[in-house]
Amino acid sequence: MRLSDASVVIRPRTAWEAMDLGVLMAREHRLLLMSSWALVTLPVFAALTALLWKYPSTAIFLFWWLKPAFDRLPLYILSKALFGETPSIKQAVRQWPRLLKGQLLASLTWRRLSLSRSFVMPVSQLEGLDGPARQKRLGVLQQRNAGAARWLTTIGVHLEIGLWFGCMTLFYLFIPQNLESDWDWQRLILATSSEGLWLEHLSNAFYAVILVFWEPIYVACGFSLYLNRRTVLEAWDLELVFRRLRQRLSNVVPLLLLMMGLSLLPFSPPAMAESSPSQKPLATQDASQSIKSLMEKPPFKNPETVTRYRFGEDKPPVKNKAHRDGKLPDWLKALLDNLNSNTFKHIAQGLEVLLWGLIVGALITLVWRYREWLRTFVSRRRLRKPQDLKVAPAQLFGLELGLETLPDDIASAAEHLWPTQPREALGLLYRGLLSRLLHDFNMPLKSADTEGQILERVNQLQQPQLLAFSDDLTRHWQNLAYGHRLPPPSVQQQLCSDWRTLFSRGSNP
Amino acid sequence: MSEFPSATGLTRETVQRASGQAQALRNELRKAVIGQDPVINDVLTALIAGGHVLLEGVPGLGKTLLVRALARCFEGDFARIQFTPDLMPSDVTGHAVYDLHTEQFKLRKGPVFTHLLLADEINRAPAKTQAALLEAMQERQVTLEGEALPIGQPFMVLATQNPIEQEGTYPLPEAELDRFMLKVRMDYPDAQQELDMVREVTRSSRADMLDVKPLRTVLLAEDVLQLQQIASELALDEQVLDYAVRLARATRSWPGLAIGAGPRASIDLVRGARARALLRGGEFVTPDDIKDCALAVLRHRVRIAPELDIDGLEVDQVLKQLLDQIPAPRQ
Repeated sequence: MRLSDASVVIRPRTAWEAMDLGVLMAREHRLLLMSSWALVTLPVFAALTALLWKYPSTAIFLFWWLKPAFDRLPLYILSKALFGETPSIKQAVRQWPRLLKGQLLASLTWRRLSLSRSFVMPVSQLEGLDGPARQKRLGVLQQRNAGAARWLTTIGVHLEIGLWFGCMTLFYLFIPQNLESDWDWQRLILATSSEGLWLEHLSNAFYAVILVFWEPIYVACGFSLYLNRRTVLEAWDLELVFRRLRQRLSNVVPLLLLMMGLSLLPFSPPAMAESSPSQKPLATQDASQSIKSLMEKPPFKNPETVTRYRFGEDKPPVKNKAHRDGKLPDWLKALLDNLNSNTFKHIAQGLEVLLWGLIVGALITLVWRYREWLRTFVSRRRLRKPQDLKVAPAQLFGLELGLETLPDDIASAAEHLWPTQPREALGLLYRGLLSRLLHDFNMPLKSADTEGQILERVNQLQQPQLLAFSDDLTRHWQNLAYGHRLPPPSVQQQLCSDWRTLFSRGSNP
Repeated sequence: MSEFPSATGLTRETVQRASGQAQALRNELRKAVIGQDPVINDVLTALIAGGHVLLEGVPGLGKTLLVRALARCFEGDFARIQFTPDLMPSDVTGHAVYDLHTEQFKLRKGPVFTHLLLADEINRAPAKTQAALLEAMQERQVTLEGEALPIGQPFMVLATQNPIEQEGTYPLPEAELDRFMLKVRMDYPDAQQELDMVREVTRSSRADMLDVKPLRTVLLAEDVLQLQQIASELALDEQVLDYAVRLARATRSWPGLAIGAGPRASIDLVRGARARALLRGGEFVTPDDIKDCALAVLRHRVRIAPELDIDGLEVDQVLKQLLDQIPAPRQ
């Protein structure tokens, strides 16, 4: 790496200026960067689409996930181009498999979601650092400009999304009016079947095309941020100035040296073995002594005596001072140390549990507060996709319908009850009927169903015998319940015998 | 088990004869208005319950025909007002004119003095004119020149409005909507029924309208009053009454509804259910009767919550959901 060969002006810049430089760099080599990116990524995208035709979301997710692997190519091209060795497309693409070798797994797994990806990528790819060395280097590099790198990624995400929406809108605008009116958009969007797939793959393709445009710029911006950081750290600009100085003076130096030598020669004292008293005692001990005394003096040490009260009347000033000095008063330090130690661990855990409990409690209260609302809207959703499994309600219309609450032989029980409590007897029969409908015929009865609606449901079962019996029983039941009219005694015998023929034979053979 | 105290005045025969008459009326109407059986049921419900009906439907579904046929079937008077933006209240109720011969003011009664009043496209007239109907609908009397004139019984207003056109219309205020017992939606008939209808109409000599002439007069205006009397005395169990009130009250706290129905809704629910029971041939009111007319009674008295409105839900859907969740009574 020869800094003097660099194709950009090297000087310390602000983070945003550096990114601007990155955009310039990307623009300079746009054809090379974009075509090489397209050559590498589009086949991969096509392969993923073909493989995962049924799962377009998975395909685009995988493609997106592989971005760090593709990013290496533009970075390689940019790093070569920086020093004037711009490769051709062919060379660059050929180089790509070799570029993939180092730390691919790491960059595709735990480093994938790092926001400062573009900024730290050169460390592993160009400097070839790994493990603790890389960590150390990153520690130094990321002291500055890391925030800007994160912002770069965030802006990039938004730009990608914006461009993607733009492409989709453009596509939509290009659809002829008469064709578009035939489309049922809701169906297209909601469709999981194959007819909606092409639309999703089309939007995926838009994303891949957008990346061709944007991703090289992103990599270039990250790279220029990295360059800027190193310029600042290693004073590349000063090095360049010196180099230039040397280059300019290199012709004059021998002459200058000659002249200096000539001019100094006559005045040099005669070479005699004269002991110089000032030089002799400069032994190591003295030297270290004088160094020490020098080190104690102002530029190196600046002792300052501050007299103040530690505790007492004015705490706020102490606090302010602590803030101003960047130091903490002792008692606070002690307290903080105590807090850091295990003494308060249990209290802290207790507090944590309490806070979580508060959050959970608040959530539960919220759900309870809006339960009516939730019930309405959630049940509306459920109506759209009915569930097969329906829990039979144990109680309907204030009647117990559980199998265990009814007597085994309902007909006999009703016969027993009839002479004394005809109302209960008829009620028992009706309850029995509802319970049978609910449990034997799996009829989805709700507590809001009226007798008429239940009869309609029975009608749908297409069982004439059951329908006739239900019709009869319901009529007598309604007469009794709402008309307050007792059924004639002859009805009792008929209803009970009908019940036996219908259910005793059917369910308990 | 005791009989209802209110049921003592009614014998089974009376009720059966009355429901026979009501059913005959319904069969006669079905001959004239083809493919609108639910609407016929609702209109008869309102007639027997002594309420008014707001009919909503696109043009050409036979709204006017239904009213004319109804008037003919019970030999009642029939008047029609076409509401327009420049219609004045006096055009509805009537006004005083100066008679040159007798040198006195004479009251000229408006079209509202009739048995059946068809207020066609009621939302085309401004609120002032719509309000002229209010007194007539609620009090069954009209005040003209400071004099309260009673309207003959039975009196029923059938107002129609078009759901599609919103340009240049004056939506009915809530107070007036509340005066209507039922709001009935008229929909297009089935394919088969439309076939029958077209066949019938094209056979008639008068090009595009059905003749109501051949309809038989089934009952007299007094019979209608008697029907109303019998219906109002039909037995009603406490549980059923409770169900009706619960339904109306539920609309006030239902999360999908911004504005609920008032007490008039409970009253109309019970009256409507009584009429339905009579129409069905029953001698007492069942929860089914309440549920049958609940939609028509409630739909114009509630306002749907804005978020559901944005979702594209209709009032009817929300009300059906409500009816699906309010437990029906059982003893």
